[in-house]
Amino acid sequence: MKNVIVYVEHRRGETRKVTFEMATEARTLADALGGQAHAVIVGPGATTLAEQVKTYPLNGVYVNDDPDLDTYLLDPAVDYVEAAARAIGPSLILIPNTLSGRDLAGRLAARLGAGIGADVTEFKIENGTVACVSPKMGGALITTCAIKPAEYGIATVRPNAFAAAAGGAGATMQTLEKPSGKPYAAVIEEDVEEGSGELALEEAPVVVAGGRGLGGPEPFDTLLKPLAHALGGAVGASRAAADAGWVPYSLQIGQTGKTVTPNLYIAVGISGAIQHKVGMRSSGAIVAINKDAAAAIAEFSDLLVVGDAFKIVPELTRLVEAAKA
Amino acid sequence: MKIVVTVKLVPDPNAEKRIDSATKRLVRSGVETVLNPYDEYALEAALQLKERAGGDTSVVVFSMAPEALKETLRKALAMGADEAVFLSDAGLEGSDVWATAYAMSQALKKIGFDLLIVGGLTDDGSTGAVPGALAEHLGVPCITNARKAEIADGTLRVERETDSGYQTVRGPLPALLTTALTFGEPRYASLKGIMGAKKKTIAPLTLADIGLDLAVGSDGAKMQLEAFAPPPARGKGRTVEAADGAAGAQAIFDFLKEKKLV
Repeated sequence: MKNVIVYVEHRRGETRKVTFEMATEARTLADALGGQAHAVIVGPGATTLAEQVKTYPLNGVYVNDDPDLDTYLLDPAVDYVEAAARAIGPSLILIPNTLSGRDLAGRLAARLGAGIGADVTEFKIENGTVACVSPKMGGALITTCAIKPAEYGIATVRPNAFAAAAGGAGATMQTLEKPSGKPYAAVIEEDVEEGSGELALEEAPVVVAGGRGLGGPEPFDTLLKPLAHALGGAVGASRAAADAGWVPYSLQIGQTGKTVTPNLYIAVGISGAIQHKVGMRSSGAIVAINKDAAAAIAEFSDLLVVGDAFKIVPELTRLVEAAKA
Repeated sequence: MKIVVTVKLVPDPNAEKRIDSATKRLVRSGVETVLNPYDEYALEAALQLKERAGGDTSVVVFSMAPEALKETLRKALAMGADEAVFLSDAGLEGSDVWATAYAMSQALKKIGFDLLIVGGLTDDGSTGAVPGALAEHLGVPCITNARKAEIADGTLRVERETDSGYQTVRGPLPALLTTALTFGEPRYASLKGIMGAKKKTIAPLTLADIGLDLAVGSDGAKMQLEAFAPPPARGKGRTVEAADGAAGAQAIFDFLKEKKLV
């Protein structure tokens, strides 16, 4: 395992920040392993996106604008990444820890006989061996797992865990030939994008989350959203709020929802049950606003303000807006 | 039609996890073993599909775990699964994603299925990569994160959640499906279900029964656990009683300024 391959997840040429975080980390890892760093981008929009990815310190970018990627569920991506891995040779493959990233990682692991480091927040390299540091059980444990010596290894990489920095001599771009494999089985009949224009919760640098204390769906729009926008962040929710139907489940943070690690987490009217805690406890700074000074969230907040959120949040939004102006 | 649901047995997610400072191991005493919550949704999906299909559709739960946890599977039988298969072998200890998926796939080939439903994540290890690896080993289509599914004329049609919305996807059977938490709240076991579960079969399997060409357990694992530790301690912070909205907002704003977050 000498080289590093970055799988670029994108939607018609639009990617997320984690791509650039991985591209930057790939250089560091490849240098430590004495190999090269490459990226693989496939599907409609790949060539356009490659121009942007090329500004990161990579040796090569492999592309194919194959429309099959939009027609079949993941099967073509698995074939392409496998083909790239075989062409590039023994390598560590970095995949974003997203819904389809996890699917891709598992499928490649089976094909390449590779170990998987999951949800990696840090890599350690010693004598050519790569070890992956990952939080487990919702952050209750931090594990370090070494990838045993093998041709291939895979890591799913947590967004927001690594720094992104453009630079480097400029990667060469080349076409990745379409692999001939078995026919693709799962056909995408319809692909609907929802909530576009909102920042992805997992990648937001600031999360403003609401819970049962908000009492209904309206405050998420009228109270939390203006504060989130002022801080350049996204709105999230506790399970109680999602279960009550106040917000879609896609906003739920916690054990059975999303795990977020923003620089700043503001919990409004959230008591802080363990179910919620495990989804946000790795955040940079945690601020809570709650009526109850004895709420569990006090135990893991940097600051708990006891008071009326309906009065505090609009004032805070005003202060943040004024500071920006 | 035969629907197989994989179920993992995990420490109760609602219990606070802690590490024994002497042994550096997770403290399991006093923590109940439960069905992985994500797998309860997978089982709910299987039971719904069975109810809709009617006829001779059966739901089999499959689990791989230490022998001592076997009876926990009765919870799945009480929810309505028809039978259970339990793979247990000391040789499985130390298996990673690759070895787990390989051993499971060999057992599942033996059990046979038209539809295999797997939970989206596990509550403890949480790699989320086992379903994909399993589908590859079994050579079946892999459709993940379903919130709705229907089967007609041997075709599986699924509405699945994506990171940015949803998709409708179809594929042939046999296939592997994973469920999102929006598929439907898992049902509670009825008293009748709990009583009935006592009489249902939990068929045992060992590695010798399933036939392996490659090593599993810690020998076959591609990953080696080097260390585990609790996260850096997060001390209890300050508490401020806000006299009014402006005072509360000011306290937070000062904190954000101090931390250079505004």
